[in-house]
Amino acid sequence: MKPMNNKLVLLASVAAIATSAAMVSAQEYPPLAPLGDPPIPLDNKMTDAKVELGKILFWDPRIGGDASTACVTCHEPDQGWGFGDSLSRGYPGTVHWRNSQSVINSAYLGQLFWAGSAASLEKQAPSAAKGAVAGNGENEVMETRMAFIPEYVTRFNEVFGTQWPLIGDAWAAIAAFERTLIVNDTPVDKYLGGDESALTEEQVAGMGLFNGKAGCIQCHNGAQATDENYYNLGVPPAERWEEDGLAQVTFRYEIYAKGVTQEMYRVLKDDPGLYFRTKEKDHMGKFRTPPLRYTAYTAPYMHNGAFWDLEEVVQFYNAGGGENDFTDGTMASTKSDLIKPLGLDDDEVGQLVAFLEAFSGDELEVEPPVLPPYEAMASE
Amino acid sequence: MTISRSKCGFALTLGASLMGATLLAGTAFADPVPLGPIVAPEVNEAKALLGQRLFFDKRLSGDAAISCASCHQPENGYADDMALSLAYPGSKGFRNTPTLINTSLAANWMHDGRLGTNLNDVTREMITETYLMNMDMRLMQERIKQDPVYVEMFESAGYGEPSNGSIRKAIPEYLATLTSRGAAFDNGTMSEAAQRGQALFEGKAGCISCHNGPRLTDDQAYNVGTPENPEIWSDPMRHMTYAAFAQFMGIENYMNIRRDVGAQIIRHPADGSDIGSFNTPTLRELTYTAPYMHNGTFDSLFEVVAFYNNGGGQDANKDERIKPLGLTFAEQKELVAFLEALSGDPLTGPAHVWPDPISTNYPTIENWREVQN
Repeated sequence: MKPMNNKLVLLASVAAIATSAAMVSAQEYPPLAPLGDPPIPLDNKMTDAKVELGKILFWDPRIGGDASTACVTCHEPDQGWGFGDSLSRGYPGTVHWRNSQSVINSAYLGQLFWAGSAASLEKQAPSAAKGAVAGNGENEVMETRMAFIPEYVTRFNEVFGTQWPLIGDAWAAIAAFERTLIVNDTPVDKYLGGDESALTEEQVAGMGLFNGKAGCIQCHNGAQATDENYYNLGVPPAERWEEDGLAQVTFRYEIYAKGVTQEMYRVLKDDPGLYFRTKEKDHMGKFRTPPLRYTAYTAPYMHNGAFWDLEEVVQFYNAGGGENDFTDGTMASTKSDLIKPLGLDDDEVGQLVAFLEAFSGDELEVEPPVLPPYEAMASE
Repeated sequence: MTISRSKCGFALTLGASLMGATLLAGTAFADPVPLGPIVAPEVNEAKALLGQRLFFDKRLSGDAAISCASCHQPENGYADDMALSLAYPGSKGFRNTPTLINTSLAANWMHDGRLGTNLNDVTREMITETYLMNMDMRLMQERIKQDPVYVEMFESAGYGEPSNGSIRKAIPEYLATLTSRGAAFDNGTMSEAAQRGQALFEGKAGCISCHNGPRLTDDQAYNVGTPENPEIWSDPMRHMTYAAFAQFMGIENYMNIRRDVGAQIIRHPADGSDIGSFNTPTLRELTYTAPYMHNGTFDSLFEVVAFYNNGGGQDANKDERIKPLGLTFAEQKELVAFLEALSGDPLTGPAHVWPDPISTNYPTIENWREVQN
């Protein structure tokens, strides 16, 4: 984590200089750019048959504990391929503890989940399918279920060459399907590709603010509009942790299961984010910069769904972020120095929101697959 | 899990030799542990009461759909009335639900006897096993902590703060309250037919060589040639649940086997000699727990007795003591009468069954930010 700290210090210094000049220089950061094709890992090449298999599996609730919860259950196509509530719905009998992120364009990310705990889509899928408040599945049971679905046996054999479906291959197929969920023809892509008519004047003005006065580009940079680094903005703790017993259960479960000290278990009332992975106190309350693409469809926003529309998000930044248990000294003080009042007037806020909306393009819809049935195996 | 089973093969061999000798001599069997009575264990009332509520609480399963009592139903002798058990949603069972009455006095648990330590371990296994209750115990602990009724009960029971460790102590404490009482056999009120049945049980029929002691079981595994229950292999949901189990238990070729290997999973003898062996079940409370055998293949006690009278089933590993018994029809009826006299009062009153529905909701901790977790 040392390189990250160094980078953070560097960013902070840059920000300090930039803020003193009341202007951020876009040249310091990778510029926004059209989104090209996603990277395909050498050990999981794409084929039509693999993608089709992954699509069926993405919809199949038998890849989970009680055969009720599929990938699509919390990543619903008509909810931005995420879930339209502050906290994701979670496994039956539970609620999840963070906001469900969109699968769209996740192919470009190197760090999945809000604290970046999975380094690839192939690793993200099992983590979600097996977590107690997500899929709650177990390898042997999920793998064996697939063996009793003849269409899977045939498809896995064709794609992976195995006699029986293997659970690790299921994750590979799901990842391959997810790498087809790409939206890279948004108005912003077209504009950056040279079509000046793709954005309205208001949106162009918003992009100017994004790259300049509002300083968004400091973290939301490059083609994905994220540096995949970790920051604490002072997003307030989830309201449901105060109001809903079910959410309180899950909150305590997560701090217990992810491993903190006994003292920390007693006093934490807010999500320590990156700290879970590094156990370094100066990482408390930090979350990975989310991409800004497709956000028109993915409300609510932030790691705990604190904000319900993009204007609320922009106003939050305009006010210099907020306060949480990791900004006010309750646990640690880790709020990013980059987060300062921006001094945007109402017109400018509107311009920035209009620009963000141009990052989404058309909604990506697919025809849901037909799920193949179980069948008895012939006796020996 | 193999600790208490490690000498099983030896005991089996020795037992078989003894049997051969006694059969040849045509005399009674050598000193089996006397039948009955059940001596109820001491229980701590507060702990048992806590365990009772936990036993009936669906929040102890992953999706809060089933409790221990969903399969171990009080009205069915803490078993169920099906040949093959229910399971966690999305799976189906591949064995008959055993009674929990007197289970606190057992030496090992499960039809294959794979759990040989204590009920704390058995409780953990049932709660966490994917096809049973599929519960992450860390989540279970936090669920229990969210319920003020439990916080109070754990405190009163002397456990302090609710923890998954004390959940696994309280449930066995409750199970210790599930002991047989009021059976005609224990009260000395057996019919004459039942008394003649007991004489057959201890003599001509030879049941007592395995079914002995207060619970009428020696807690050992034998192969009696019980027929397979074909539904395990014709219902893909049962078959897949067994296959996942067999894979986890290290059974080779688990996708191709078409029989329940039973106790083979414990020692995995290379010659497969434990295939098809299952634990001797208790014979108490049978009138509540039909159907019978590890896979529920027999509907009535008469069928079971007739099965043994015919010398059991067909199996290469069948125990050599399982031979045709030569019982007349009347003698078989007397044996059934004796077996029926081993069932006592139903344990369905408030002393054993949590009387109120238990909400699966969780009260909100109102001063959440002010109190420690």
